[in-house]
Amino acid sequence: MATESLEYPCALTLNVPFPDARLASVALRALQVDKELSSLVKRDLSVAQDEESHLRVEYKATTNRMLRVAVNSFFDSLALVLEVMEELDVDVMEARKASEAKTP
Amino acid sequence: MMDLTKTPRRIALGLEGSANKLGIGVILHSGPSLSSSSATVLSNIRHTFVSPPGTGFLPKDTAAHHRSFFVRIAKQALAAADVSISEMDCICYTKGPGMGAPLTSVAVAARTLALLWDKPLVGVNHCVGHIEMGRAITGASHPVVLYVSGGNTQVIAYAEQRYRIFGEALDIAVGNCLDRFARTLKIPNDPAPGYNIEQLAKQGGRVLLDLPYTVKGMDCSFSGILTRADELAAMMEKGTGKGPDGEPFTPADLCFSLQETIFAMLVEITERAMAHVGSNQVLIVGGVGCNERLQEMMGAMAKDRGGSVYATDERFCIDNGIMIAHAGLLAYETGFRTPIEESTCTQRFRTDEVLVKWRK
Repeated sequence: MATESLEYPCALTLNVPFPDARLASVALRALQVDKELSSLVKRDLSVAQDEESHLRVEYKATTNRMLRVAVNSFFDSLALVLEVMEELDVDVMEARKASEAKTP
Repeated sequence: MMDLTKTPRRIALGLEGSANKLGIGVILHSGPSLSSSSATVLSNIRHTFVSPPGTGFLPKDTAAHHRSFFVRIAKQALAAADVSISEMDCICYTKGPGMGAPLTSVAVAARTLALLWDKPLVGVNHCVGHIEMGRAITGASHPVVLYVSGGNTQVIAYAEQRYRIFGEALDIAVGNCLDRFARTLKIPNDPAPGYNIEQLAKQGGRVLLDLPYTVKGMDCSFSGILTRADELAAMMEKGTGKGPDGEPFTPADLCFSLQETIFAMLVEITERAMAHVGSNQVLIVGGVGCNERLQEMMGAMAKDRGGSVYATDERFCIDNGIMIAHAGLLAYETGFRTPIEESTCTQRFRTDEVLVKWRK
């Protein structure tokens, strides 16, 4: 929309690749629940239409400062989601348990 | 609704991070029904964000702490509990009340786990978590509850499926008053500012300094007391502070006087609530509940009324994951779920908003 791009001139779009569509969907659902705290920032999360294992993140803000604050905070949350996926997903936990059982 | 007779063992993971403690625990409920079920702690791991002396914990730094320790603490809690993911029934997280950023950091991880493991999520009221854990550990059946921590001060009694708030702090929480006074005196925040005040207070007691004792009906006010205590500390620093006996007073005397005054206020409103409700049990929960002087003063009052005080130690008093697991599992057993889309956090979430369906 023309008016929106005037009001929110500072924009950033990220494409975050995940190993598969399941993990991209988990990230989407875990991250989209918390609303942006400021009305000066708009955020849209989706799984990319053409690439189901990509999380698409679109940020728009009134100022570059607001954009930076919002995107930084998003990266903090994204990093946690990725770490939980890497360390605590079902297959990872099962593999760890199996290897611990072998080497008591 | 699930058939409880077919699942004699229910297991929940609890994730807490509403303030400066990240707590993760696993609880087991066994027994065929709600009324006859017993709770067993399988693991209860905590890591505290400790800020330097003279400072408090800020939301941003605290959230960063929770994020950086989450996986490590979760692994420890799961390893200690020795349960597999398939045995887990639900994942419980603190919905509120608390500080926004730390709450959200843990909620993000909770949602991720729930989605990865394909488990239902249960949002828990932090205060109800304290109350239910206190009841489970002490066995107090129908107590008046004094909930005292860094962010909350409430006198609570149960009636008709709600924990009703009889009295509360009108301004800052009692623990906040203690924490901030510890900052004034530059007392270390490790292991906890309140603990260090308690230890220092044991060396005081030569004089009781006058502080503005403020009880209004069933409610308390602590900010005026803090202001006066800060003023007295400034006078002490300059060497102009004199006690009622004309002699200079010490930091220990200040800590002693602060504790005696604010705990006396808490005892007063708790006693009045007990008289209203006709109960002679007091259950003290929350971080300040670890304070042995508070337990002693409350015990003396309860004894006079022919009753007794129930309290727990730091494992359960101070914020922890197991209480969130326990209260969450109780709600889960009544059919309560928090859909992922609704699994937000809220800084304000009053104790009496929760329908306590698991009690008669």
